[in-house]
Amino acid sequence: MPTLARRAVVPLLAFTVGTVLADSAIVTLALPEILRELDGTVSEVAWVLIAYNLVLAIAAVPAAWVLSHRNPTPLAAIGIAVFALASAACALASTMEVLIAARSIQALGGAFALVGCLELLVAALDERRGLARWTAAGVIGTAAGPFAGGLLTEAISWQSIFVVQVPIAVLAVPAALTIRAPRAPSPTRERPAGAPNIALILLSAALTAALFLVVLLLVEGWRRSPATAALAVSVVPVAAFVAPPLARFVRGGPRSETAAGCVLIAGGLAALAWPPSAHLGWTIAPQALIGLGLGLTVDSLTFAAMRDRFPRALHGGWTIGARHAGVVLGLVLLTPVFTADLRDAEVPATEAITGLILDAPLQPDDKIALASSLGERLQAERGRVPDLHPAFAELRLSDAERVAADRLEAALNNQLERAATRAFRDSFLIAAGLALAALLALIPLPRRRRALEMTSLVQDGGGR
Amino acid sequence: MNQRALVLPAVSVALVAGLLGVQTANGGGDFVPARAADPCVPRVVTAASTTSIEALGEVLVLYGIDGAACRIGVSREQLVLTLGVGTDHTEALYAELRAGLLDAVERMKRENLLPPASALADEALADADLNRFLKAAIRALPDRVVDAALKTDDVLRRAITDLDLRRLLDDLDQPNRLQQQISAAVTQAVKDSLTDRLRSIVPDLPGL
Repeated sequence: MPTLARRAVVPLLAFTVGTVLADSAIVTLALPEILRELDGTVSEVAWVLIAYNLVLAIAAVPAAWVLSHRNPTPLAAIGIAVFALASAACALASTMEVLIAARSIQALGGAFALVGCLELLVAALDERRGLARWTAAGVIGTAAGPFAGGLLTEAISWQSIFVVQVPIAVLAVPAALTIRAPRAPSPTRERPAGAPNIALILLSAALTAALFLVVLLLVEGWRRSPATAALAVSVVPVAAFVAPPLARFVRGGPRSETAAGCVLIAGGLAALAWPPSAHLGWTIAPQALIGLGLGLTVDSLTFAAMRDRFPRALHGGWTIGARHAGVVLGLVLLTPVFTADLRDAEVPATEAITGLILDAPLQPDDKIALASSLGERLQAERGRVPDLHPAFAELRLSDAERVAADRLEAALNNQLERAATRAFRDSFLIAAGLALAALLALIPLPRRRRALEMTSLVQDGGGR
Repeated sequence: MNQRALVLPAVSVALVAGLLGVQTANGGGDFVPARAADPCVPRVVTAASTTSIEALGEVLVLYGIDGAACRIGVSREQLVLTLGVGTDHTEALYAELRAGLLDAVERMKRENLLPPASALADEALADADLNRFLKAAIRALPDRVVDAALKTDDVLRRAITDLDLRRLLDDLDQPNRLQQQISAAVTQAVKDSLTDRLRSIVPDLPGL
């Protein structure tokens, strides 16, 4: 393949891989707007996220099997085209059912696009560099999803998240068709790598908390705008991007990187469960640790699960399946925990608010009016953190009382932030536990120790 | 595993420990909603009201809620929320609330928070439905005469005993009706207190 063509095609295919993987979490910041505009329920909105990850998890291995038995070039191009058409359908969806169906088709096309792009990148470059581009694009895409989605939702609308994917595909389809990736049947069919894929499942479940729950905490718990939340979570992709060069500088080896990454992700999640206030600054360092951990682990584990294993596409399918099964596991495991905790947090939050109103230096009539208005808001927003400001804006107060009311509003918001943060604590700690469990999954058992040592030796010796 | 392989995990553990340490030192574990205080432990209450009768009533209610919550064994916040939600409360709850308010009078008396009746007279007369000659005559009375005739704690106790708490809580969101009920109860309490006072001075006065 000519160098000039390769320079244009390879980034396009890598960008496609990043886009498909970013889509697993890209709608996170847009969910409240989707809920409002499509008039859905909270569980339906959760399915916008779950459907994509579930279909991708289920379809990845069968898609990889088909790709390993057929010519990957047209199948990859069809996968990208289906992904793009389904993205357009998502943007045009006027009901929640249509959106969920379109997301499922998007994931189906995405499964073929992901595994197909792996084969095409390897064909365009070589085994080592093609695999490296594919995994790096996936890591950055996964980490940047919420950030990109948040910015687009705030700047334009939730539909724009899906619209921007269409031109990428319009360019990527012809780019894919320019690469000839002949089917090369492998002489041996190796079993899927156990430990790295199990670790990927557990880490992806933990990272769901980092990418999904942090956004929810910032937007729903602390009532920050999607743009502010997007800016705050941009720390994760930036840290994930700088992690591999840092690791190469230390040259500790893949096992050292994955062990460090698991500790960083678990520690970052534990720190998110333990913030001293609702100031965004306290989320930066934990997210930086998570981003570094993401950059160190997913990259290394994907390498460990796929390197020198054939058919390549099939093992690529297993890693994609593992990662998205992990996302679904994270959502299924953590969603009921934090929604139940959020419901339970209503009681202490309401009591704390009642205490503050009772002690506020306001006239009794104003206290009663305020309590009544706040009560209605708390009831109307059942299960969500309410915006208290309208209740204060309705009050007719003297200048002196307005100062007291402003202080009271700040104190009440502080109580709500405390309650919301407390409600997310269990989920973050469970997620931290999942990251540590991934570390345990990587500890070699006597039976498989020898095999892992061989793999590690090959990787340590060959570099990446 | 060589020494180089230990660098990254060791740095990671140090980073995590450092971050959790900084967060804990800055109150990481304490960022939870405020817990309701024990209503049986006396708290300092200051009224936001500017007029003395309103301020007296405000402190009385806040002390009373504490007292009632202590008697029932819940926080004052839980009691207020219970009273604020729905109207179908048990008589026992109203009885405890009344007892809490009566306890509050005793406490305010003990803490010298009850002003003499003469200090409240002008304000009470301004709102009273009396002709201006009678108001002028009462205002002309020396404070010691007013204070001798009316004891604030006695008036409050009588007013609390007479108050229809069920109706009072039903009208919580209608300030005018609330004010009417309290005024009526206080007026009746003043009348009863004066009658009792007169009866103690002139036991055989006809019509008492």
